[in-house]
Amino acid sequence: MAEIDRRDFLKLVGAGASVASAGCWQDPVEKLIPYVVQPEEINPGRPVVYASTCQECGVGCGLHVRTREGRPIKLEGNPDHPINRGSLCARGQASLSRTYHPDRYRRPLERDAEGSLAPITWDDATARLAAAIGKASGRVALLTAPVGPTLGGLIDQWFTAVGGGTRVTYEPFAPEALRHASETVFGVASVPVFDLSDTDFVIDFGSDSLGTGLSPVEHARQLAAARNASRAEGREARLVYVGPRQDTTASAADEWLAPQPGTEGIVALGIARAAIDAGAVPGGGLAEATVTIARQLSGFDPASVEKRSSVPAATIRRLGAAIAKAKRPVALPPGVALTSRRATATAAAVLVLNAAVGAVGKTVRLTAATGAAPSYRDVALLVDAMRSGDVEVLIVHGVDPVHSLPSDSGFGEALANVKLVVSTASLPDQTSVRAHLVLPDHTPVESWGDAEPRPGVRSIVQPTLRPLFDTRAFGDTLLDTARAMGAQGLPEGSFRGVVEAAWQDTDWFEVLQRGGVFASVAPATGTITEGLARLEFAEPQLEGEGEFVLLAVPSPLLGDGRGANLPLLQETPDPITKVAWQSWAEISSGAAEKLGVKTGDLLAVETPYGKIQVPAWPRGGIRDDVIAIATGQGHTVGTYASLAPAGTLTGPARGVNVNDLLPSLTDESGSRAWLTARAQVRAAGGFQRLPFTQGTDNKRGRLLGERISLVALASGESPWAANESPQEPHGIPAPGGHGEEGAAAAAAAGHSEEHEMLRRYDPVNDSTADDPYRWGMTIDVDKCTGCSACVVACYVENNIPTVGEPGVLRARQMSWLRIERYVGDGEQTLKTGRPGIQNSEKLGSVDVRNSPMLCQQCGAAPCEPVCPVFATYHTPSGLNGMIYNRCIGTRYCSNNCPYKVRRFNWFDYQIEGWPEPMALGLNPDVTVRGQGVMEKCTFCVQRIQLGRQNAADEGRPVLAPGEVKTACQQTCPTQAITFDNLKLPDNTATAVAKANEGRTYHALHVLNTRPAITYLAKVAREEGHEG
Amino acid sequence: MTPPPAESVAAMIRPAPVQKDSKVNRDLLRVMEGTSLGYWVLLHIAVFFMLAAGGVWIYQIYKGLGIAGYAHPVFWGAYIVTFVFWVGIAHAGTLISAILYLFRAKWRNAINRSAEAMTVFAVLTAAQFLGIHVGRIWKSYFILPYPNQRALWVNFKSPLLWDTFAITTYATISILFLFVGLIPDLAIARDRAKGWRKILYGTLSMGWQGTSKQWKSHNRTVLHLSGLATPLVLSVHSVVSWDFAMAIVPGWHATIFAPYFVAGAIFSGFAMVLTMMIPVRRIFGLEEYITDYHFENMSRFILLTSLIVGYAYVAEYFIAWYSGVEPEQTSFWLRAFGPYWMSTWTMIICNAVVPQILWFKKARTHVPTLFVVSVLINIGMWFERYVIIISGLSREYDPAVWGIYTPSWPELIIVAGSFGFFCQFFLIFLKLFPVVAIAEVKELEIHAKAHGAEGH
Repeated sequence: MAEIDRRDFLKLVGAGASVASAGCWQDPVEKLIPYVVQPEEINPGRPVVYASTCQECGVGCGLHVRTREGRPIKLEGNPDHPINRGSLCARGQASLSRTYHPDRYRRPLERDAEGSLAPITWDDATARLAAAIGKASGRVALLTAPVGPTLGGLIDQWFTAVGGGTRVTYEPFAPEALRHASETVFGVASVPVFDLSDTDFVIDFGSDSLGTGLSPVEHARQLAAARNASRAEGREARLVYVGPRQDTTASAADEWLAPQPGTEGIVALGIARAAIDAGAVPGGGLAEATVTIARQLSGFDPASVEKRSSVPAATIRRLGAAIAKAKRPVALPPGVALTSRRATATAAAVLVLNAAVGAVGKTVRLTAATGAAPSYRDVALLVDAMRSGDVEVLIVHGVDPVHSLPSDSGFGEALANVKLVVSTASLPDQTSVRAHLVLPDHTPVESWGDAEPRPGVRSIVQPTLRPLFDTRAFGDTLLDTARAMGAQGLPEGSFRGVVEAAWQDTDWFEVLQRGGVFASVAPATGTITEGLARLEFAEPQLEGEGEFVLLAVPSPLLGDGRGANLPLLQETPDPITKVAWQSWAEISSGAAEKLGVKTGDLLAVETPYGKIQVPAWPRGGIRDDVIAIATGQGHTVGTYASLAPAGTLTGPARGVNVNDLLPSLTDESGSRAWLTARAQVRAAGGFQRLPFTQGTDNKRGRLLGERISLVALASGESPWAANESPQEPHGIPAPGGHGEEGAAAAAAAGHSEEHEMLRRYDPVNDSTADDPYRWGMTIDVDKCTGCSACVVACYVENNIPTVGEPGVLRARQMSWLRIERYVGDGEQTLKTGRPGIQNSEKLGSVDVRNSPMLCQQCGAAPCEPVCPVFATYHTPSGLNGMIYNRCIGTRYCSNNCPYKVRRFNWFDYQIEGWPEPMALGLNPDVTVRGQGVMEKCTFCVQRIQLGRQNAADEGRPVLAPGEVKTACQQTCPTQAITFDNLKLPDNTATAVAKANEGRTYHALHVLNTRPAITYLAKVAREEGHEG
Repeated sequence: MTPPPAESVAAMIRPAPVQKDSKVNRDLLRVMEGTSLGYWVLLHIAVFFMLAAGGVWIYQIYKGLGIAGYAHPVFWGAYIVTFVFWVGIAHAGTLISAILYLFRAKWRNAINRSAEAMTVFAVLTAAQFLGIHVGRIWKSYFILPYPNQRALWVNFKSPLLWDTFAITTYATISILFLFVGLIPDLAIARDRAKGWRKILYGTLSMGWQGTSKQWKSHNRTVLHLSGLATPLVLSVHSVVSWDFAMAIVPGWHATIFAPYFVAGAIFSGFAMVLTMMIPVRRIFGLEEYITDYHFENMSRFILLTSLIVGYAYVAEYFIAWYSGVEPEQTSFWLRAFGPYWMSTWTMIICNAVVPQILWFKKARTHVPTLFVVSVLINIGMWFERYVIIISGLSREYDPAVWGIYTPSWPELIIVAGSFGFFCQFFLIFLKLFPVVAIAEVKELEIHAKAHGAEGH
């Protein structure tokens, strides 16, 4: 061997070191740069909250935009806002992700010679638009979603300034028929406000009021409160649902009627007639109208109504008597799915029912008309004008008509005749990809604006983020275009100034703080008009042949399709079927058997207007002659909305667009009719695996999603008392006291020193003796409607990634909180072979338990002892802590968790879950979990920490009751979730549980996991227990 | 089972002319010489599978465990199934080396070397799966109780920690056992070898001269190691079974698990010894040393353990029914008739029904039959773990989140690669070390010579 001298040695060492260091690389250096001048309101680590207004749908809920270091990270309801009172729905929760969406248009774009969209400057873009408008000489159309009063006023001014044009307001789900009905019946052309607070009888004629109705968050809150109050007073607040399909509201109802779709109006009139027979008196200054009403109702005796609608006469009489007796009854008119070609008459019939039982003026408030109302008739006229070449410039703002109008309407073809199509979409949609000019608008959290959802409620939209990209507010685009044309008569300055000027009459700073001006306005008065007599109450006409009535159901998550490109909404399972990321067609189990199809088998659905293939979802809760397909899917544009290959925007459609099957038909008053067609359905002979998150609604009698009858509740005997009693090991006598009763006593008496297996079951015992906290929760299954707002709130708050359709197909969705939907107590059936979907729903009967399932923070948690590295452990405050850094990913904890609430990072979702710039919206208080670690709910421990730090700053040793709210609790419209420190004698969670003694149970209690969550069983309000 | 008297072993060997030591040496060491084309083909296949699996594993570490087929709530899958399978395989070696040694069952001498080697390789294979299975292998050292300034410690309540200790202990003991047994044979090999082998054997035989003092120490070491290893036979698989039995998963939470798993492990271990040794005997012409008599004895063990395993199957169902616990009953019903019925019936037929053929001496002495039975048992025992783990997890307490798991192709490649890993070691071992314990075979012969045909 050759000798190595010192020099060779040094050379080798040097070469080796350089090779070794070249082989490694460093992560790029990122610097935390402090503010040079600290903005006054920004305190690093503390959230700053701004009041604003949700723009996701037309309801106009108030928002609190929670920002951290200048970035909005979470939307919450504004507690001061009269519509939503602090809650928010799933769509509202998810809407923040529009801002951080990877698909966003980042600058204005112009279609170039090759037909693709190329960047352009704002000056050139407005110049081009201005030139086109100048040349069009009034043949300009502006198609917008309903906009706020300020923007609406500006649009009118703008039209005057630029030489005229057509303004069309379009909202696919607008309650136009109801507005027309109100005009026809009462002479007031606006949508009445239905008030469910303190109600004792609600009958919903298919509006899915708690899911997709007129104001779901508000109605769900009011109904839950009414039920709660009435139960406490020994009364009853009853919800009756009339509709062909068991949707969110039917699932929460006490009684469900499923008449022939389209006959809801006839049923309403039958009930009105029965109510008058039972002595109902019209109130609200309508007494003189009794004659008109009675005349109108003469033909609607229960027997003939039974013949026409298949609802038994006895039921009609019973409901009539019940609504006549009710003190604050409400009847809700049909929603989108049931707007037939006689929708105005149907809505009018329901208004007549309200009038007949004296609800008008009490629970049904007529309101003065506000703003430009959406009109489908205008849209149809616009399409005609476009087709005949009478529109040279079309500006589309806030809507996606190519997707949401029926293909039969011809909008898509007519668009080709428009010389200049301008889209202001901030996210690409099917209309914007066909535009010649894309002038992207800011997203709501970047915008100024306002809304007036109902008279007296003026709500502000204020920006909380400097625009991320080179976008421009639509108002400013209008102003700049007009200025480029040299038009006169428009306000100076920017749109922000216009908004501020519009609010001159208010205290601007208070408006910004509170989110608006909320006053109660006296309801408009109306009187029964003769117009009512002109309406014909008859079965609607349905186009086409076929055994099935096609029901286009508004999706509670995707809406008309505007939510389809938000991954959070795609991944949140449908509250009823638990399907995510796909379309499905609901048919009855009987019909499925006849067609020979099972879940996922493709159905060929054909109407005279189109043909689609869609996987079947057989279920019990739908009429045999109805096929229901949800709106919202079927997009061909968007990373998440379509099946676009990675890195592209357009691709094959994800799911189906029900508009492809529907005609462009209207009802008597010109509003869009959705219930218009019969469909021929046959098995198409294929199969598609549907990504669903729950395969059975049979809970097999296990202690999950319980229900108790009012009678049993009144008897004071809890069926779960045996489980709630102390968990004594054999041979060891239980200490005195009982279940929840003992909680406060134990808290007062201090901590039990016995071994944990010997202690009486009381969550208070499951934290360290000298720790002032034991966090616990009470969840009221009776209040939960399954709306899934909590699920989405949890995703946003806790930086939970979405996994897409392939992930959900493997049940890898990361949801820390899921809503289980069980029907009935279930049977312990033992089936063989590979399981199909089990569905125990029955037409016309309701026993649905929506039970939120999240980490139970068990006192004797099965997950804790099995972790070899203490990555999950019991904190002194009684939580099951999860240390992501310590986790090595054995997944033993999840195997041993009976509630199956732990989720595993199968891939590096840090990278895959948040494509740029989505990561900007992450909550900085919550670790983003890396590949290969387990994660789960920890009762929003970051919020607990923030609360404790605040308390410490203020010198308080212990947080006050109810001071910390978890994200799920905060957003729940019905306040089904109460979270608090169980060690405080006056804590809210124990208080709710104590107030509902007899309904309390703990999930899977027999396993002795000592959960910190107390569930309150659903209440069965049996037939004949009215009043 | 009473081991047969040593004379009968001698009787088996007697028909052949009395061998000189050198003949034994030659015969047994010949295995190590030269390599046929077939050997290279086999070795290449094994190495190919191992490398394919290694590639998939690296990809899995890079990409994430999601490439496997896991579906909520089934968070343990083919990796843990295969882990338990290989730990089970590892049992025959210790049983043969330690327990049968203590019982002085002389028939073990012909097969103990191969069985011990298999044990070591099977434990090494199994240990791979702990790394393959975890989500963050780069942090998996957290599971070791090493002193650290962060004052972090491990959770001694966790069966997975017990597992870590059990497996490392078992690996250590079985490697020692194999090595100590090898020393005299290595010395024989050293004396005949040339080149690098001389260096290798010279180093490994640690200066063995065959002096009586060395023999005395050697025998005493083997005896003591046997004493140490004996409880391990029972403990290792008991601990592995507690991974399941300590959990509250229906279908896992049963007190029968420890004896059930130990019996199953011995069952599968013997089956694997048969599966490996039948071809080896045939290929290398070792019929003189590994006789049908050995195979028959092993079949008897297989039959006994098959009965125990079969009993456990029945007992599990009985207890599930007798307990009156609905989730438990449902889990077991669905195990047999639910989505995993095929795996379950494969397991029952292969493990409890097929081995019953071994009641017949004809079957026990018919080598092709034995080979088929042993392969079926290997398949059946893999499915036993599959059924327990997957069917248990897929049907737990909350019916809303019942799930279905199907292994994905990366998992199947890694499982196949584990066989490649194991076979590769075994094939290399065949060429490097005496596969039959020369010294112990000689011992038998000396015994036979000394006592003659008439025996005692």
